[in-house]
Amino acid sequence: MPKHIFRLLALIAAGLVVAAIAKPLLTDSSFYRYGHYRADSVPEIAAQEPVYQTPSYCQSCHTERHAQWSASNHKTVVCEVCHGAAKGHPQNGKLPIPKDTAKLCTLCHEAMPERPRTQPQIQVAKHAGGQQCNVCHNPHAPKIAAAATKVTGNEAAGKERAAAACAGCHGADGISPNDTWPSLAGQNAAYLVRILAAYKSGDQTDAAMTPLAQALSDGDIQDLAAYYAGLSCKATSGGKVVGDADRGKLLAKNCASCHGETGIGSNPAWPILAGQKPGYLANVLKAFKAGLRKDPMMASVSRGLSENDIADLAAYYAAQSCQSTKQGKAKP
Amino acid sequence: MTKDSKPTLAARRAFLAKLGGAATGAAVGAAALGILPAASARTEAPSAGASFPTKDYDWTKHQWGFGVDANKCIGCLRCVEACKKENDVPGNAHQFRTWVERYVYLEGEDHVRIDSHQDPVNIAASGSEKEYRFANRYKDAKVDKGFFVPKLCNQCTHPACVQVCPVGATYRTKDGVVLVDPTYCIGCRYCVQACPYGARLFNEEKGVADKCTWCYHRITKGLQPACVEVCPVGARVFGDQKDKESPISLFIRNNRVQVLRPESGNAPNVFYVGIDKEVN
Repeated sequence: MPKHIFRLLALIAAGLVVAAIAKPLLTDSSFYRYGHYRADSVPEIAAQEPVYQTPSYCQSCHTERHAQWSASNHKTVVCEVCHGAAKGHPQNGKLPIPKDTAKLCTLCHEAMPERPRTQPQIQVAKHAGGQQCNVCHNPHAPKIAAAATKVTGNEAAGKERAAAACAGCHGADGISPNDTWPSLAGQNAAYLVRILAAYKSGDQTDAAMTPLAQALSDGDIQDLAAYYAGLSCKATSGGKVVGDADRGKLLAKNCASCHGETGIGSNPAWPILAGQKPGYLANVLKAFKAGLRKDPMMASVSRGLSENDIADLAAYYAAQSCQSTKQGKAKP
Repeated sequence: MTKDSKPTLAARRAFLAKLGGAATGAAVGAAALGILPAASARTEAPSAGASFPTKDYDWTKHQWGFGVDANKCIGCLRCVEACKKENDVPGNAHQFRTWVERYVYLEGEDHVRIDSHQDPVNIAASGSEKEYRFANRYKDAKVDKGFFVPKLCNQCTHPACVQVCPVGATYRTKDGVVLVDPTYCIGCRYCVQACPYGARLFNEEKGVADKCTWCYHRITKGLQPACVEVCPVGARVFGDQKDKESPISLFIRNNRVQVLRPESGNAPNVFYVGIDKEVN
């Protein structure tokens, strides 16, 4: 064999030997275990920690919020969509409560022609007049309580029923003689129907009201609501005022979008507060705060109110006239 | 027609693979005795009973699948946001593992208008590249038809991206997910080019190819992928195709589903409902 050929072959052979020795040394031991890749990379990737934790993680501490949310229309929107990923919470601090709900909520609810018709959508410019969404909607239970319940009652029949069942506490003409019981005269009929039905069904309870409401038929409730709604309310409540009405006026701005500036709102499913007994107003707010009265919206707005705030709000609404703004105020 | 009626492309590929394997074996086998046998010996699975890749999860017991119902998608982009946070994807509008496309047909136009969150108009509407929002740009237009289509890696059965990788840094797991091994990836971006769906990205922060893993670290722990978890309307469906009652099995059985670009021969595993001919 010529020398130069031998050298060439020897070089190739030496190269093959080096390759044969180097390859197993340079290749990860798990490389061919399942195929042409490093098998150890699979458990490495699988070992990453999840960032999004799922609602059951939140439930263990935020039980009440979780229960409210999971019963609402928003139950498909998990906690971390709005509050951010929960990894590191609570150890590393609080998760954000979204401030700019007008921006957040419209991600899903801004009316767009390309969105499916089944998605609830709003015309942003017309819907809320630039207000934040959580002024009226509770994000954990966004649906607003039954808009205008139908009222079909008979006033005369209601008058008879009221004389027998209600007048003892609420007054012969719907004006309560007592500071802790509400006046009913001139109240929204739809609200009266809703609340009487709630007492009857047990959704709302009261030592005095529950047995009385349970004795009423649905027709009786309609008649009573029509009767009391038709009565004239007094200009002032006449109850004992302990709070500061001027301070209450400032606080009441937070309530105005539903209950109106002076306590007369636009939706008949919500109560008129103007001219109501201050003791009653304060008691109801305390009951919402304590969870004795159940309403998702009122629960969240009353949570931040102090005893003084409640007294001031009650004083403010008690001092408003239930009639003076009634004509001009009616919105379409 | 062949009796097993394989698509011609796949049949041709299988035939060429066999031919190539035989030729290589004949040529190299003799010359490099001792190398190939050692390598092939190591491809054997380890002792039966050991669970892989984690002690609570055996990848031979699952075959994952993904469904997209475009009829339900509202284009809120919470999936894009969740994916970015869950997988530490660079926080800009142009690198993403999943995205949503908007298809709009305007009256009197003969073409479809397509945009996604990285369109400058949508970036402007969201306020920053780290927030995701579709601008309401068609609110005053005469829209004939419009819809959103979520997109992500199809975790193909015959993935082109895996085929082109020169270093074995990307592979398909036994439970049906295509993964990237970041320690082996050399950042050549062949895979980014090869993917017919544009599903891969190059992660410039890490210098490696990156892609949707169907949140492999979540699904191996019994959780859903982050995008499925946060979708408020159920437009994304995920589950185990080996479980006949899983969400994905029911989705495939109860709907007329289709896949994107079936002609590419990649055999994708994301099944779509409610998409138009323009979507591919």
